[in-house]
Amino acid sequence: MSERQKKTFVITRFDPDTDEVPKTESYEIEVEPYWKILDAINYIKDEVDPSLSHRWSCRMAVCGSCGMMVNGEPRLTCKDRLSGYGDTIEISPLSNFPVIRDLVVEMDGFMDKFNQVKPWIIRAKELAAEDGPMRQSPEELEEFKQFSMCINCMLCYSACPVVANEPEFLGPAAIALGHRYNIDSRDEGAAERNEVFRGEGTVFSCSYANECSEVCPKNVDPAAAVNQAKFNAVIDWATGLVISRDGKE
Amino acid sequence: MARPAHPHAMQPSRPGSTRTAPPQMPPRYPMGGRYRNYTLFDATGLVYLLVGFVALRIVWALGSGREAWQSMLNQLENPLYIAFHVLAFVSVVFVAVRFFSLFPKAQPPRIGPAKPPPAPVITAMLYGVWFGITAVMTFVLIGGNL
Repeated sequence: MSERQKKTFVITRFDPDTDEVPKTESYEIEVEPYWKILDAINYIKDEVDPSLSHRWSCRMAVCGSCGMMVNGEPRLTCKDRLSGYGDTIEISPLSNFPVIRDLVVEMDGFMDKFNQVKPWIIRAKELAAEDGPMRQSPEELEEFKQFSMCINCMLCYSACPVVANEPEFLGPAAIALGHRYNIDSRDEGAAERNEVFRGEGTVFSCSYANECSEVCPKNVDPAAAVNQAKFNAVIDWATGLVISRDGKE
Repeated sequence: MARPAHPHAMQPSRPGSTRTAPPQMPPRYPMGGRYRNYTLFDATGLVYLLVGFVALRIVWALGSGREAWQSMLNQLENPLYIAFHVLAFVSVVFVAVRFFSLFPKAQPPRIGPAKPPPAPVITAMLYGVWFGITAVMTFVLIGGNL
């Protein structure tokens, strides 16, 4: 059994009632060798400084709540072992997001972008219940399954240089989710979503830095989705020049 | 130290009731870690712009008579020009390798009824076309007849 080890955590703090700008505070604690980064932050909150604010929930990389910048890199803190880091670890709130308090970021802008891409199955006409379930082959499922694994942890937004510079940009996770429905064999709403993709928050703002895919903890590969969405948005636009949306020339 | 991001980055459409600290850019952007390759990839655009100007100058010399053309050829032997062309070559190779590595996954799972070939096949096709065109161009430039 390995021994406990001392590590220093330099954590960004911000209290909207008293601070003009965020500042950092250092905490030296003894950590267990098997701890994840989130365990250390929870320890600091529970045992050292109860005023520290951060989000977390499931502790098994499913809920997507505990995303933070760790040594300048967006990470899911419940997934990263402390043993992979040095004696000093810098923790700050996710980049590209307004900060509400300490490590807690404002998520409403993210949710706004999600709603824009209509992340649900759109049918031209709902099937009658007596017609039974709509079937989908394993091959059809495989086409979008990877993009449906997103846990909304927002790490991709935190890594994206376009999100940092263009507030209208829909961003990786929202586009990946919209694209996931566009290529779902049960969906008939691709034309509607492609209009959103070509609109103000256009998918063409993406310059394919690929950072979103590099930091994604669930291997969703949002960069692939965004660039596939670009391709489909162009095909959809060109098709619309020849065939009207109601199917008549 | 991170630089400020756009002040409206990831702001909600309706402002919340709590004052927030402004968003910061990723600390490693633009030249740290993996961002370096992305920034250099974009920066090669400047090299291509300069290559375009040089090409225009060469075409201009070609249309200005034998003396102007010979003078241009002499200028191209200048070490600065040679260094610039080495830089342009490195830029092309760098961009091609990065683009070819990212291109296959940007293909949608199907276009109508057609499915794209597997990623390794797309990559092989890209390199094949690149090397093929380079070989033909080299053959022509060294005086060969097709």
